[in-house]
Amino acid sequence: MLRDERLSQYALLTVALALVATYLFPVYWMYVTALKSGNEIVAWPPTFWPADPDFAAAEVWERLQMATYMKNSVIIAVGVTLIVVTLGTGCGYALARVRSRWMDVVLFAILMMQVLPSSLMITPIFVAFSQIGLLDYPRTAVILAQAAKVLPFYVVLTRATFIQVPKELEEAALVDGNSRIGAFLSINVPLARNGILVAALLIFLQSLGEYVYSRSLIQARAFQPATVGLQSFMGPNTSDWQGVMTYAAIYVTPIILFFVLLQRQIVSGLTSGALK
Amino acid sequence: MSAPTSSFRDGRGFDRILVWITLGFLIVFSAFPLVYNVIMSFQNVDLFTLASFDRPFVGLDNYDEVLTRNATQIIVRNTAVFVVLSVAAQLSIGFALALFFQQRFPGATWLRGLFLAGWIMPGLVVGGVWSFILAGDFGVLNWLLQTLGVTDDKIFWLSDPSKSLYSVIIANVWVGVPFNMILLSVGLAAIPDDIYEAAELDGAGRVWRFLTITLPLMRAQLGAVISLGIIFTLQQFDLFAALTQGGPSNGSNVMQYWSWELSFQDYRIGQGSAVSVLMILVVIGVAAIYVRSTRHEHAA
Amino acid sequence: MNMQIEIDQIDKYYGAYHALKSVDVRIPQGQFVALVGPSGCGKSTLLRTIAGLETISSGAIRIAGADVSSAPPRQRDLAMVFQSYALYPHKTVAGNMTYALRLKGMNRAQARARAEEIAAITGLEKLMDRYPRELSGGQRQRVAMGRAIVREPQAFLFDEPLSNLDAALRVHMRAEIRKLHDRIGATSVYVTHDQIEAMTMADHVVVMRAGVIEQQGAPLDLYDRPVNRFVAGFIGSPAMNFVPARVGDDGGHVILDLPGSPRLTFDGHRPAGEAVIVGLRPEHLIPGTGDNALSLPIANVERTGSATFVRTATDPDVMIAANDRLAGVTTGTITVTIRPELIYLFSPETDGALRTG
Repeated sequence: MLRDERLSQYALLTVALALVATYLFPVYWMYVTALKSGNEIVAWPPTFWPADPDFAAAEVWERLQMATYMKNSVIIAVGVTLIVVTLGTGCGYALARVRSRWMDVVLFAILMMQVLPSSLMITPIFVAFSQIGLLDYPRTAVILAQAAKVLPFYVVLTRATFIQVPKELEEAALVDGNSRIGAFLSINVPLARNGILVAALLIFLQSLGEYVYSRSLIQARAFQPATVGLQSFMGPNTSDWQGVMTYAAIYVTPIILFFVLLQRQIVSGLTSGALK
Repeated sequence: MSAPTSSFRDGRGFDRILVWITLGFLIVFSAFPLVYNVIMSFQNVDLFTLASFDRPFVGLDNYDEVLTRNATQIIVRNTAVFVVLSVAAQLSIGFALALFFQQRFPGATWLRGLFLAGWIMPGLVVGGVWSFILAGDFGVLNWLLQTLGVTDDKIFWLSDPSKSLYSVIIANVWVGVPFNMILLSVGLAAIPDDIYEAAELDGAGRVWRFLTITLPLMRAQLGAVISLGIIFTLQQFDLFAALTQGGPSNGSNVMQYWSWELSFQDYRIGQGSAVSVLMILVVIGVAAIYVRSTRHEHAA
Repeated sequence: MNMQIEIDQIDKYYGAYHALKSVDVRIPQGQFVALVGPSGCGKSTLLRTIAGLETISSGAIRIAGADVSSAPPRQRDLAMVFQSYALYPHKTVAGNMTYALRLKGMNRAQARARAEEIAAITGLEKLMDRYPRELSGGQRQRVAMGRAIVREPQAFLFDEPLSNLDAALRVHMRAEIRKLHDRIGATSVYVTHDQIEAMTMADHVVVMRAGVIEQQGAPLDLYDRPVNRFVAGFIGSPAMNFVPARVGDDGGHVILDLPGSPRLTFDGHRPAGEAVIVGLRPEHLIPGTGDNALSLPIANVERTGSATFVRTATDPDVMIAANDRLAGVTTGTITVTIRPELIYLFSPETDGALRTG
C-alpha cells in the first residue's frame, strides 16, 4: 500500500518534470541557440545540443552595444521602481486601513487605471509629452509614463499586504505616543516589508522589460533600453540568430535568476494581490 | 488645554494625503492622457499640428475613417479571434496544469512555480525566441510537426497571412498559461478536502466530483481568471512587435497594435486616438464587470 | 475627590448608528473601574474614545483635569493593553517595552534600564531579548502589561486582556493585574464581558447595554441593589431567575405564576393586585422546608462537586444553586425557602426595580 503510494508519487513527479521541461523548452532553446554558431543554427533537422559550443556573449555584448542598452533598461527600471514605491506604498496602506465609500471609489478608479493598455495610452502621452517638451528628456518621459502604468498594480499588491497587518499594532503605537506617520513608518512598513519588496521587485522586473513607451518616446539610440535594442536587431529578415539569442540570454538570465531565488515570495505576493 | 493638532500628524488627514499623492500622480499621467485622448480623437492631429494647442476639430471624422477602412473588418475580426482563442487556450491548459499540480507529490509547488518564468520574461524576448522557434525554414516547431506527421510541408507561420495571427496566439498562450494556472491553483487549494471526501463516500467518481464540486466551486475564480485573461490579452503588444508587426497585410493586426501603428508609423495620430478610445472602452467595460463581480462576492 | 478621568456626557455616532448615548463616568485617581456588558454594548468603544482611537461626537473627556476631547492618542499619556496584546512582532520584548519611552525622547540606555526595572516586577527579566512569537500566551500577556507599566501613564486601559488565556491562567492573572494596580497606585479602566472579572477586580463597575450605562457603582452594590432587570440578570452567576407574579391582597406577598400559585412574602409593600416580575437569585433559594417555601417539580440536577444546580420543570424554569450535594435529590419535587429581604421586584412594563420601602 505504502509502496504503491510511493510509486505513484514518483510517476507524478516524472510527469510534472516532463510538463515543466516542455513548457520551458523555449527558454532552453534560447540558451542552446545562443551557443550555436554559423550553419548549425539553421541546420535541418535542428540539433538539440550544440555540436561545437560557441560562447559569443562577450562578442555580442560588445558588437551590439549592450552595455548602453542594459544601462538604460536599469535606469528606467530603477527610476520607475523608486517613484512607484515612494508614491504608492502609503496609498496601499490607506486603502487597506480606511473603509469608506470614498475609499471604495478610489480603489475602483485605481483598478480601472491598472488595466489601461500601454499601447493605447501611448498616443495621448506622446502628444502631451512632446507639447510640454518632456521628450527632450526621453528616459524621464518613459519613467513617468511607465510609473503611471504600474503604480496601480503596486498599490493593489501592497494593499493586500497591509491588510494582513493587525490594526491594533498601529493603535498600540499611537497610544504609546506616536504620530500617524511615525506609526506607519515604524510599525506598518517594517511588518509589510516582505510584501512591499516583492511588489517592488515585480515592478522592477516589469519595467526592465518595458517596450511600448521606450519604443515610442525615445528616438536617440543612446537612451534606448534593451527591449528596443533587441527589436532593432531582430528585423523580419534577421540572420544573426546567434546574436539575437545571445543578447536575449544575457538580458533575461538575471531576471530568471531573481525569479528562481524568490519564486515562492513572488507567487504568493502575486496571488494575494490579484484576487483580493 | 487641548493642543491644536494637525490632521496630518494624528488624524484622517494622513490617510487622505497618502491617497492623494498616488491619485495626483495618476491623474496627471493616466487620467489626463485618457481625457486628452478623447479630445484628440475628435481633432485632426498629425505631424504638423502635433505641437499646436489649437488643433482643428473634425467631429467624428476620425471614427468614420477608421471604422470604414478596408482593413478595419480584418483587424476587428483578428482582435476577436486573438482574444477568444488566447483566453480559451490559456484557460484550458492553465486549468489542466492547475489540476495536475494540485496532486500531492514531492516538489509540486516548486515545480508549479517554475512556469511563471515564462510570464516574468520581457514580452519582447519571448517574441524573439518564438520567432526563431516558428521560423519557416529551420524552425523547431515545423521540425516537430513534420516528425510527428502532423504536416508534410513547412508552415510559414510568420509570413503566411493566414497563419501569422496564430503564431502570435501561440506565443501569447505560452505567456498567459502560468498566470492562469497559478490563480486557478489558489482557487483549487481553497476547496476543503473534506468536501471531496464526503462526495467520495457518497459514491462520486473522479469525473463526477470534478463536474459537481470543482467546477461549481471554481465559478467565481474562473470568472476572475477569464476577465483578467481578456484584459491581459488586450494589453498584448510586445509579441506583435517582435513576431509579425501586425503583418503581413494586416493578417495578424489587432486593434491595440493598429492604434499604435496609426499614430507612430502613419502619423495619423487623431485616428490612432480614435481606435485607442474605442478599445479603452472595451477594456474598461471588461474590467468594470470583473471588479463589480469580485466586490459582490466579498459582500456575500 | 481628585478625578483622574472624567467622561462628561459623551455621544458617539457611526453614521446614523448611535454607539454611545450620553455616557457619563467619573474615575477618581487610583480607582480600578470595569466596563462590563454583552458584546456590542459599547464598552470597547467607550474605552477607545478614552484612548483617543475613536473621536467623540459630543461631550468631553478630561484626563487629570485637561480636556483631551479632540487630542490624539499620543497627547493623552495613557497606556493600553489590547485583547490581542498587539505586541510589535518585529521588536524584542525590550524593544516593545522601550518603544514609548524612546518616543518620549528617553535615550537608549535609560529606556533599557527602566524596562529592566519593570521586567523584574513582571517576571520578564529572562525574556528581554526574545521576540513575541517565541513567547507563550501567558508571557505575551505579561509583556503587554510590562509595556504599559513602564510608561508610568496617567491611566491604564485594558481591552479584555485575559480573554485569550486558558481558564486557570485567567484566574491567576486576574489577581496579578489587581495586585499590580494596587502596587503602582494607578488608575485603571478595564473592559470585559465577563461579569465575574468585573466583580472580582474592580472598585467600581459600569454596566452597559446598547450604548447606555445601565448602572454603575461598587460591585456588591450592583449585586445587592440592581436598578433594573438587565443589571440584575447580568450580575451574578448563575443568572437571577425572573418569574411573573401578582401582588397579593395584603400588599406584602406575591403570588407566583408557577404551578400551585406559590405565595412568597417580601420585605415591604406594593399595591395589591399589581403585576410584577419577581427576581430570585439561584443561590438565595435554599433547599429545605420552612417559612416562605416554594415546591417545584425537578427537570434535572447537575452536580459539580462543590455546588449543585437544580433546574425546575416549570415555565419559566427556575434555577436553584446549592452548595451541598443534595444527595438523593434527582426527580420529583424540590422545596426551597427564601428570605423575604432577598426577593427583588421589577416592573413588567419598564423592567425597572420596584421600591418596596
